[in-house]
Amino acid sequence: MNRILVLLSVLLLLAITQLYAQNPTRISIKGIVQDTNSAVLADATVMLLSPSDSSLVNFGNANEKGVFEFRNVKNIPYLLKISYVGFLPYQQHLTPSPTAINDLGFIKIKPISQELLEIVVKTAKAPLSIKGDTIEYNAASFKVPPGSTVEDLLRKLPGIEVDGSGNIKAQGNDVKKVTVDGKTFFGDDPKAATKNLGAETISKIQVFNRKSDQATITGVDDGSKEKTINLELKENFKKGEFGKITGAVGTSDRGVLRGNYNRFNKKEQFSVIGYANNINETGVNWSDYGEFKGNNTFSSFDNGDFGFGSGGDAFFIGGDDDLLSSFNGKGFTNNLGGGVNYNYTNDKTKLSTSYVYNQTKLNLDQNQNKRTFLQNGSFSTLDTSSTVSFRANHSISGRWEQMLDSTNTLITKANLRFSNSNSAVGTRQEYINNNDALQNRINLNNSSNLNAYNLNGTAIFRHKFKKTGRVFAASSSFVRSTTDGTDNIRSLTQFFEASNPNDQIRAIAQLNQNANRTLTLKAGLNYLEPLSKRFFWENFYNFSNNQQNVGRDAYNGLIETQRYDSLSTYYENQITYNRFGTGLRFNKKGINLSLGVAALRYDLTGKVYPTEGGNLTTQISKQYDAIVPNFTATFNPQQSTYIRFGYGINVNAPSISALQPVIQNTNPFYITEGNQNLNPTKSHDVNLSISRFNQSNFTSINLWMNYNYYLNQVVYNQTVDANLVTRTRPENMSGAESFRTNLYSSFPIIKTKWTTNLSVNYNLSNTPTLVNSVLNTTNSNAYSANIGFSITPSDKIFVTLGGNYSINNIKYSIETRQNQNIISKGLNIDAKWSFIKKTFLESSFNYTGYENDRFNFSQNIPILNISVRRLLMKDNRLEARLAAFDVFNKRQAITQTGSQNFVTYQQAFTLARYFMLSLTYNVRGHDAKLKKNGNMF
Amino acid sequence: MKKMTLIILLLAFGVWAKAQKNEGEVTFKRTTSWTKMNDQMTFLSKQQKEKNAYMFGNIDISTQTYTLFFSPKGSKYEEKEENTNGYSWRKEQFVIYRDFENETLTDVIDFLGKTYIVEDSLERPQWKILNDIKDVAGHICMKAQIKDPIKNQVIVAWFAQDIKAKAGPERLWGLPGLILELDINNGACVISASKIEFKKLTTELDFPKKLKGSKIKEVRYQQMIEKHVKDKFKEEVNPFWSIRY
Repeated sequence: MNRILVLLSVLLLLAITQLYAQNPTRISIKGIVQDTNSAVLADATVMLLSPSDSSLVNFGNANEKGVFEFRNVKNIPYLLKISYVGFLPYQQHLTPSPTAINDLGFIKIKPISQELLEIVVKTAKAPLSIKGDTIEYNAASFKVPPGSTVEDLLRKLPGIEVDGSGNIKAQGNDVKKVTVDGKTFFGDDPKAATKNLGAETISKIQVFNRKSDQATITGVDDGSKEKTINLELKENFKKGEFGKITGAVGTSDRGVLRGNYNRFNKKEQFSVIGYANNINETGVNWSDYGEFKGNNTFSSFDNGDFGFGSGGDAFFIGGDDDLLSSFNGKGFTNNLGGGVNYNYTNDKTKLSTSYVYNQTKLNLDQNQNKRTFLQNGSFSTLDTSSTVSFRANHSISGRWEQMLDSTNTLITKANLRFSNSNSAVGTRQEYINNNDALQNRINLNNSSNLNAYNLNGTAIFRHKFKKTGRVFAASSSFVRSTTDGTDNIRSLTQFFEASNPNDQIRAIAQLNQNANRTLTLKAGLNYLEPLSKRFFWENFYNFSNNQQNVGRDAYNGLIETQRYDSLSTYYENQITYNRFGTGLRFNKKGINLSLGVAALRYDLTGKVYPTEGGNLTTQISKQYDAIVPNFTATFNPQQSTYIRFGYGINVNAPSISALQPVIQNTNPFYITEGNQNLNPTKSHDVNLSISRFNQSNFTSINLWMNYNYYLNQVVYNQTVDANLVTRTRPENMSGAESFRTNLYSSFPIIKTKWTTNLSVNYNLSNTPTLVNSVLNTTNSNAYSANIGFSITPSDKIFVTLGGNYSINNIKYSIETRQNQNIISKGLNIDAKWSFIKKTFLESSFNYTGYENDRFNFSQNIPILNISVRRLLMKDNRLEARLAAFDVFNKRQAITQTGSQNFVTYQQAFTLARYFMLSLTYNVRGHDAKLKKNGNMF
Repeated sequence: MKKMTLIILLLAFGVWAKAQKNEGEVTFKRTTSWTKMNDQMTFLSKQQKEKNAYMFGNIDISTQTYTLFFSPKGSKYEEKEENTNGYSWRKEQFVIYRDFENETLTDVIDFLGKTYIVEDSLERPQWKILNDIKDVAGHICMKAQIKDPIKNQVIVAWFAQDIKAKAGPERLWGLPGLILELDINNGACVISASKIEFKKLTTELDFPKKLKGSKIKEVRYQQMIEKHVKDKFKEEVNPFWSIRY
């Protein structure tokens, strides 16, 4: 009996335990949300989260009585979260419920202090982070004056008090510790950090309770908590620096020294750069230039010339671009340069200033063969010349862009530049006439020096009206420049066909003193008015005034008091330009049409005096008016497909040098004289471009065409006398035309591994000139084609291969027997191979061939460069490189041109084979991998 | 009696005002910072990222404006046509329809030069709810977070505590309040509400008469993105030059 009773009891007990252990699989969770005063919080958001990762499982709203219920949810642990505007987010861990309904009863949630909510969240727009009972609030947006300390910042924060001696209380408790990025700063005194750190370096302030140091060390939690403030530093305020320095020595006394250093923080960028070499690097490369200019690299495109097309002269950009290397491949140069740049940027201001110095000394020896065609034959000129020249520039630039307020922006910029240059050219020229006989020989020894100074400034103002799309802009600029120079002309000419012995030799010794002064003033206005959502009305006005004074005194080079009046002059020239234009624009979903018309006037005046302050000898005053239309249409029918068509008439004033009535007799066989009677050139310009990029197979295709027809083009007409002396003078002629077109396509053969690009060009030009008063039309048809492959079989090998062929067929109407073909062809292979870790083999091979059938000229130039480089030291800071340039010792510069009534080829000597060992130290380390796509983004 | 009418009117107004709070139009500014995006480009070295930030740091921002129409029934998100400077670019097609009643999505998306219509059932994004609060466009918002493993993005969303709508900008939705701000990868792209207008919607959520494009499922769309991102990383080119970030 007893046994049975026990058994029953055990069974019953088991059943009860079972019942309790057998929690329901689905339950309801419900509760009532109230504030601490038991007022109902209707519509509170109630969420069920997974406790492990806070992921949202379910959510709902409390009803108007504050009641919420989740029905039929899984009976698993949850994190219940309740949120309500003005209250701290509430959190509660829920364990699986033994009953089908988990009634949480009244849930009381705490309000956020009104002060905190208003000041931190609403006014400062700073996020507030809440962890349990402690509020960690991040306050990056409290405005304090520049130069304030963290203490000043803390005074502004609600819930924090700072007394007169700098003691801090947070939520009523003393703050015992202040850490920076979690680390103790300046020992244990909390004031050390708050009094010494600048407020602008801080992004977040976190106030929280932390175990006392005692508890942390002993591991025994004594329950005492210390109020702690942690200051988090701004990520991008953390200062940075980078830079590198390269030194190299090579065979035949070649050497390079090059370096740059940059320091920056969020607002400021400071950089220095310098270079010195004798390997024809006349400046720095684009990548180093970009690092030097920093975030001001792309600011040079400010445009104050409003309206369509060109007209007048472009606004002066005036930068320090002369730091960029611009070697033309001819001769030997010694180069030295450097600069400093400072940029300051904040939300409203962008300020950039720089100073740059550069100098280049050039030694150039070259030969030229020129054949000139006349109405009844031709003659050749063989030149051998040797030049030594030096130039140096100092340039100071500044640019300041200020957002005055949300609607007004002002950009101002200025540049001051001094330069001096000198050169000495020795030339021997031989004139070979139609009968292949040497007719004349001239030895020229000219030298010159020039000092120039240039100051320019530009201001552009933009105003956006309240009405969307209504914009007003105004601009003005000035350029002041003076040049001062002397030319020393010495020549000795032998005339082999002269019968009279007195005519067989002629010597010239002449000294020219030149002084030019230019002042240009410009202004522009632009107004854009939206007529409707689709139509805009644009109006613009341009003004420019260019005044130039040219003084030239020519003296006998041996008796310097003897002035050559016929070669001396004093000339004043003024060009005033006014243009008013109006146009209508239409745009809709990728279709943009613009039709406009402008009326323009040029006033040209010229005054010639025998000497500065002398009596006026000639005066010219002319006016030129034109009305010019302009039409452009762009279509963007599909993503990545663009079509643009444009037609316009451009009017350009003749250049100052073409207008000057000054005789240039630097070479007594080629005498140029300006023409005051020139009219502006008018050209019709039609262009079309189509581009399409297929993003799914990475295929792109581009086509552009451009056609120009010229009226009153300034061409240099020629008269050649029996002694083969050419006199040339600019004159207006109509009828020249040019047509250019290019087709480019690029497509992958093996995606991501092998890309091909193709390009085909065709250029046509017809240029009329008068040669000895006979009309000659030069017709040039130039065709060229390129094909290239870029192959990247792995991350360690990059190869590019390319070939090109071009032929220029030139026809001279004056002498059809001289029609000829100028041909050039080339092949290039570049390879980069990272054959051992951190070690790279790089080589390039270039083969170029030049041909001209008339000259029987044919020259092939193979150039091979090879280098090996290895990265060394921690972070690859050091790079050692051994390089061989032009292994076959074949480098020279060859230029073939044909235009007007002549054709030339030119050979210039330049730096050929040398070997070089270089070391580069980079503060931040070098890249240890080959780059596929250069540096941009 | 008069009092009674007033109370009824007030009550009615209250109900109306409340009803209005979950329906309306939001204007979003979408700001992309290309140099911040670089942090994610594993093929760029630290030096290159720094150099890009040094050179392009303050001229790399592009901004677009979007409109979100939302109601308890659904939402529509699309780019707002703006031509403030008298020039209009062709807008990329990106129109996002959400139907919360039938739990379906219909998105018209230009992807690599082709227009697709992504049609599928709605699956709620796996949000994590965090503890921060912040003010966006005058509304106190809570923080939520989600990861996009395909585009390798961490997306932070701020949703309004007091606007009971499931909708959100871009392709995101499914929080207990209207999403008023998205922050993708630490500010590389920020989509933030600039204006909120509560109003009764009429035809704003309707589809246009004809949707042009080839129909695909969500899985297929994600596969296309994944492939593109992989290809471009291999080429060491930012994939988001050619597809939406």
